[in-house]
Parts: sequence; C-alpha cells; structure tokens
Amino acid sequence: MRKFFVVLLGLVLLAGVFAVPQQVKLVIWADDTRAPVVREVGADFQAKTGIAVEVVEIAFADLRGQFITAAPTGQGPDILIGAHDWTGELAANGLLEPFDPTLGGKAGDFNPVGLEGFSYGGNLYGMPYGTENIALLYNKDLVPTPPKTWCELLEIARALTDPAAGRYGYIVQNPDPYHWFPMLSAAGGYIFGKNPDGSLNYCDIGLANEGAIYGATVFDKMIEEGLLPAGVNWDTMTGLWTSGNAGMVISGPWLLGMTRTAGINYGVAPIPDMCCCICACVYDLPCPPIPPIPQIPPIPPIWPPKPFAGVQGFMVSAFSANKTLAFDFLLNYVATKDTMLALYRRDPRPPAYLPALNDPEVQGNPNIAAFGEQAQLAIPMPNIPQMGSVWSAWSDAQDLIANQQAEPAVALQEAVAKIKEALGCPLP
Amino acid sequence: MIWTALLSTGLKIVLLGILDAISVWAAVSLGTSGSYSFLAGLVIGVIIINYLALSTKAYPFRYLFPGLVFLGAMVVYPIGYTVYISLTNLQTGNFLTKAQVIAQLDGRYYLPPDYESFRFWAYRNDQGALRVILIAGDGRAFISEGDRLKSVDLDEPQFERSPGGIVERFDGYRRISGPELYQNLSLLERLNLQYGDYTVRLANLNEFRSYRKQYQYFPGEDKLVDIQTGKVYYSKEGYFTAEDGTRIEPGFRVNIGLRNFISVLTSPTIRKDFTRVFTWTILWSLFTVLFSFAVGLGFAMLLNDPYIRARFLYRSLLIIPYTMPAFISALVWAGMFNTDLGVINRILGNLFGLKINWLNDPFWAKVTLIFINVWLTYPYMMIVSLGALQSIPVELFEAARVDGARGWQQFWKITMPLLLVSVAPLLIGSFAFTFNNFTIIWLVTAGRPAVLGAATPAGATDILISWTYRLAFEGAQGNQLGLASAVSIIIFIIIAAISAVNFRFTKALEEVSQGV
Repeated sequence: MRKFFVVLLGLVLLAGVFAVPQQVKLVIWADDTRAPVVREVGADFQAKTGIAVEVVEIAFADLRGQFITAAPTGQGPDILIGAHDWTGELAANGLLEPFDPTLGGKAGDFNPVGLEGFSYGGNLYGMPYGTENIALLYNKDLVPTPPKTWCELLEIARALTDPAAGRYGYIVQNPDPYHWFPMLSAAGGYIFGKNPDGSLNYCDIGLANEGAIYGATVFDKMIEEGLLPAGVNWDTMTGLWTSGNAGMVISGPWLLGMTRTAGINYGVAPIPDMCCCICACVYDLPCPPIPPIPQIPPIPPIWPPKPFAGVQGFMVSAFSANKTLAFDFLLNYVATKDTMLALYRRDPRPPAYLPALNDPEVQGNPNIAAFGEQAQLAIPMPNIPQMGSVWSAWSDAQDLIANQQAEPAVALQEAVAKIKEALGCPLP
Repeated sequence: MIWTALLSTGLKIVLLGILDAISVWAAVSLGTSGSYSFLAGLVIGVIIINYLALSTKAYPFRYLFPGLVFLGAMVVYPIGYTVYISLTNLQTGNFLTKAQVIAQLDGRYYLPPDYESFRFWAYRNDQGALRVILIAGDGRAFISEGDRLKSVDLDEPQFERSPGGIVERFDGYRRISGPELYQNLSLLERLNLQYGDYTVRLANLNEFRSYRKQYQYFPGEDKLVDIQTGKVYYSKEGYFTAEDGTRIEPGFRVNIGLRNFISVLTSPTIRKDFTRVFTWTILWSLFTVLFSFAVGLGFAMLLNDPYIRARFLYRSLLIIPYTMPAFISALVWAGMFNTDLGVINRILGNLFGLKINWLNDPFWAKVTLIFINVWLTYPYMMIVSLGALQSIPVELFEAARVDGARGWQQFWKITMPLLLVSVAPLLIGSFAFTFNNFTIIWLVTAGRPAVLGAATPAGATDILISWTYRLAFEGAQGNQLGLASAVSIIIFIIIAAISAVNFRFTKALEEVSQGV
C-alpha cells in the first residue's frame, strides 16, 4: 500500500510541470477549401499583432454539428466559416455573437443579400464573403443556344430526349426541393412570407399557392411525358451530364469543376422564363394572373424563376474568450479586397464583398457573370430553424408528384398542412 | 527467478507511473476547466487501477476489471446518458444549460442613442493588475478603479506623460501597446466599468463605449427583467417567458420528466403512422432473415457436398458481398435499380419490354430493399451454416439412409433441428440488427417513396429507426434530441421484448437437441 502512495505523491509534484500558462490565440474552424486562405491571412495577422491564428480543418458536412457540440464546453473555435442557413439554428441555441451591424463602417461594401442571409432576430450574425445560386447549365454540343422560355426548353428536350439511348434533353436532381424551387417561385410560390418588421413569418407558407401549383404541374407533366426521369440523385445527374448525355441541367457553380474535367463544352444561362400565356405552350395550362405585358417586343421576363441564394461567411462564437480579437481579425484583415479575391480564387463564387466583386478579375469570368445574372433574381434561402420541417415535407411532396402518386395541388397542400402542424401554426 | 520477478514488478511500477502521470495531468486540466464529474470519475478510476495492480488481495479482479471498464464506457454510460436526455427538452433552441443562458443574458448590453465613445490607454503593474484610462471626445479623462470608472485630472503629478501627452506610467502601472495590448485584449473585453447608469466596455480595438445593461436576473424569484422596457420574464418551459407569451432566445434545457414519452405515445399524428412503420419494420427484418438464411443455407449445403469440384473457389466468390463495404454495395444497387437509368430496367426493357418502378413504387421499393439486404447478409448466414453443418455427426445421416429417409426428410428431420440449435440465436441477433439497420434504408431509398396522407415524415420504406431520425431531425425545427432519445428507448424496449420471446423459443430447440 505504501508503494502506491509514494507513486501518487511523486506524480502530484510532477503535475506542476504540465501547468503551463496559455498563450492567447485565435482558433478558426474551416473546411479544406477556405483553410489555406485563412491560414495565409492568419500569418499576416500574427506578424502584425503577435497573436497566433490556428486554423483547424474540418469537413464542411461536420462543421455545424461539431460546433454545436463543442462551443458550449469552451472547446469550440473563436471563428467559424459556414453557410448562412446555419444562422437560425446556431443563434437560437445561443452559440453566435452578433456583429456590429455597421461591420465597422464597411456594411455598405457588402452585398445586401449576403447581409440579409446572416441576419436573424434583428441581429447580424455573420460577415458574408461569397454568394452562390443555381442557373441553367447547357451542353453547347447538344444545345447551341440556351432556351429563353420554358416552351423552348420543352422543345429542345423533346428533340433530344431518347431514354433508350440514355440521353435526356433536360434533367434536374429530384426529389430535391432546392433545385425545384425556381419552378415554383417563377409564378409566385414562396417559402415564408414576411412580417411587417421584415422578419420571416413561418406560418405564412406560399408553397401551395397558385404560382407554386402551376410550377409543380409543369414538372408533373414533364415527368408524365417522359421528358424528365424521376428519381435523379446527384450521382445520376453528374453521370449523365459529364458523359455528355444531358443537354441541360439546373445546378450551381459546384458542378463546373467536374464539367471542365469531363471536357464538356458548356455554357451558363439564366433559368428560362416559365411564362405560359405569351408563348402559350407550357402544356396549355390555365394561367395564374400574369403581370401586364407591353405589346412591343422584346418581351421582358414575365415569370422568371427565382432560385435560392446561398451565402458563405464568417461567424463568431458566443463562447469565444477573444471576441474583440476575432472581430478585429475579420473586419480589418479578412474584409479586404486582397483576402476576398484570394478566397474567390480558391473557391470561385461571386464575392459578397463588392470591391472584390467589381474587380475586373471577377467580372471577366464569364461563369461568374452568368450566375450573377441569375443572382439578381435570387432570394436568400430562409435561415430560420423552422426550415427543417419544410425540407422534409416539401421533398415528400415532390416525390409524390414525381412518382405520379398525387396531383400537384393535393401533394403541395398536404405538405403545407404538415409543415404548419409541425410548427404549431393555426390551421385553416 | 528472482530477477524476472523484480523485472516484472519494475515494469509494472513504470507502466503504472506513466498511467498515473497522464492521469494527474488530465486531472489538473479537468480541475481547471471545471469538469468536476469527470474529475471524480478519473480519480476513482485511477485509484482502483493502482489498488488492483499493487494489492495481492485484488489479484483476480485484475482480469475482470478491463471488461467492466469497457462495459461501463461503451454500454452503461451511453444508455444512462440516453435515458437522461430523454427526460429533458434538449432540442434546437433549448440547448444550453440555464446557468449558461443566464450568464449570456446577464452579459448582454445595448448601445443607447446617447452613447459616448472613448479613446483608451491600457496599463499593467508588476502584479499583473490591469487598468485603463479613457479619454472622451471632449477631452474629459477617466480612470478605472476596480469595476468603477472615475473622473481624473491627468495633469496631476503621478501621471508621467510623454511629449505627445500620452500617460506612460502612474503608481507603478506601465502602459501596454502593440503585441502586448493584443495579448491582453481578452482581459480588456471582460471589463465592465460602471459609470452612473452606464457600463463602459471595450467596443473594438480603438475605443470603449458607454453601453447600458439589457437584462437583470433575480435568482430569488427566478425572473429576468428587461431594464430597457421594464418587462418581466419568468422561467417557464425552458424559456424566459413574459406574461404575454414573448420568449427570450436562447432557451435552456430543463427536466421535463416523462413528457417526451407521453407525447410520443399519445400524439395522434405519431400514432397514425406508427402501425404502418412498425409492420413494415417487422416484415423487413423477418423477410431479410428468412430469405438470407434460406439462400445462405442453400449455398452452404451445396458447398458441404464433397462431390462438388472447386469448392474453395465458389466459397471465396460467394463471400464477396460480405467483404465489400455495405455503403458501397448499397449505393451501387440503388443505382442499378434506378427506374429510368438503371441497368436492371435497361435489361428488362430490352428483353421483355418491362419497366418496373423499382425505387419509386411503395411495393417494389420494399422488394428491392429486401433483395439488396439479402444479398448483403446471405454470406454471413452461409458461413454460419457451413460451420454448423460440419458439427452434425455424419452417422446420423447414415442411419437415416439405412432407415430409408430421403433427402428432404433428412433435411427437415435431422439437418434443420440440429442446425437451428446453434444458428437460432444468431438468427435472432440478425433480426435485431436488421430491425435497426438504418444504413441500408437510408442509402437506398432514404425512407422513400413518400406516402400520401402520412401525418409525419414517414415514407413507405421507413423503418422505426429511420423514422425516428426523420421525426427528430427533420420533423419540426432543427434537432429534437430529447424526443429522439425517448423514441430510441421505446424501440429498445420493443426489440428487447421480441428477443426475449425468441430466446424462449430457442430454449425449446435446445431441449429438442438434448433428446437426440
């Protein structure tokens, strides 16, 4: 027994050696795309301030979950790089520190859509650096000129689609409401309405209004006609597209790398207008009310599809012990044209920092310009935690329509009822 | 002899020393970070290990202890934690503890319209104490004393000023700037200097600002007062809630007793889908086990036949599905079964002009899933059956042949009963595993196709565990971890009940074998 106490005593003394005072440092969590750039900026920061910046690389898919677990225990980072649709969940859990809404006087230099994306409950919780949205990608070898209207898209699809040869004129991932939303939003569908104060009203759901049902019906008819395969996931979509067997897809900048590697001669265009009355050919559906149209051509877009805007940015942990440092780093070292351009080079999304966006280097990139044209119509994807129940009920509705098991109106109305029930909203 | 004994004791002491060293280091860091429950666990664990290693009386426990530790860490602790979570409202919005939320709200300040900005200089003395001097826009100077802010006249003699007017030293305090200032920023941002109704705090690197406190917490009445509006919030259901129902975010986690269980068991929407999902879960497990056992046993019987050539080759080939990661094969099968683009429909279409909605039709999706899972599990059944078949004495078959029993009779009367004695417990294990085989369902169909009229996100091929996942993480808003824990405990009870019944049944089988 005595041996045991001797051993223990010796080691208690040893413990003193390990109790080293800790140096102040900034810890940043980022995925492998952003980490190298942030590391460079961090080296610059350290040179000027003596504060070390430690960048921890974590896979993008794990970032949010690990942050939620780690932050309250004090093991989390000071700064997190992530997507704007995390804002609601993280802020509702009390894990994010609000920014000074003027961003140190730089707020005017940021894309307002980016700032709106990171706003929740009247506070700004993130500094955006890049935006992203989907548009129409077309294979120039199969589709020489991109369609301007949905009717043209259908004509091209009819001419190209040959299931026996495994070739399709137009494909889109489904059931996947993110890529479906432009069809529904074109004629007036929306996710959440807004309260008078500009915040989202999650009990006002516009996914089963006339416009949404119209878009869903066009989708339904296309599947019925055999123009669009049901059950296309990312793998099947990329398989068809990179093998040159798809004329057009709706996708985002993340598909471009793969497209170039596959040697596809591609172009990017806005998603075609969903009008039916002027061109009177989208399945001759009865029309929801349309806005007044000038009689003289060129006819402006009447029902332009509006995709979701996604925003990437920097957030500061509420449990950080170095918030002033973190904000100083972000506002004075990251929010500069050089850093924003470095981020753009590493991850070519349109910068949310306007001086970088307007730089000739960015403006000269035809893909950025094309996605940017679509971005003008994009609406920020709702960032409130209530979005969770929307995704599942909504993709179930799309699945029912794609499998021809329910009429679009029935499926969408049921989805809206389910969402309202889950969110505790008054049912009609 | 004595040297080996000495060597082993010495080695023991060294290893124990290393373990204890690491433990003491861990204990210090646990103690300083305030995780006292882990600290207690560590201390107790280390004392037990030392006692076991050094005491001769505890010798037998040395071999039992590692098992017990792993049982505790891998089984008892997770189950205990799941039960604990199921009794709380842990979910998005109620994530932090109440103390964390109060600390956060207590530290919330707002900038009043008439706020003032101050330039600042920071100072430290040799003892490490930190003080600041603030200069307002109109030149008034203030100095911090503890957590108060006082007016000060910088022309007084104790302030040593540089030619530029900056106070460099006073009363043993020395101005810090540059990297040293950066090192001390986290201390500066914790300063809350009271000045009248205002709290003067660090706003950014260059200035302090006069803020006002937003909330005041009164522990006695457990209430929170919004100082700005005078509104009173009481702690209610995991949120600080006002009379009119407005809540302050973030909420906190509270113990809500059995409410998660009650809401799962009584919710009309959940009950509506439960029967359908439960029935499919049972069928899914049952058919998977039955078919994979039938296929596996069939192959095993063939391979057990000594007249078959190249048995080794066949055996190796047949085990391939088992050696491939289930993730990959499930995804490959899902691709092959794709209605429009999959190779299976391509072949069926060319040969027979058939187009089956494999993954998009509720019935065919179930068939496909069972098929894929049988493909993945039959090699296991085959291996198990091969071993069990070898253990059946050949004399029994010889005797049966002499008595005139034909192949099928031999199979049903001799092979099956004797096989089941050793294989039945494995079948039950396989059943319980399939019951919760989230991976295959999620990778192949993700619970789809959707069902019209479902009250919750429950697709045609959702089994209980995937439905739980969707209920908890896709159902309402964010993650409902408390609810998910409650449902998984209910599933655990269901599986336990089914397994108990099954084991009764195998006991009966053992009695059969004893009769042989």
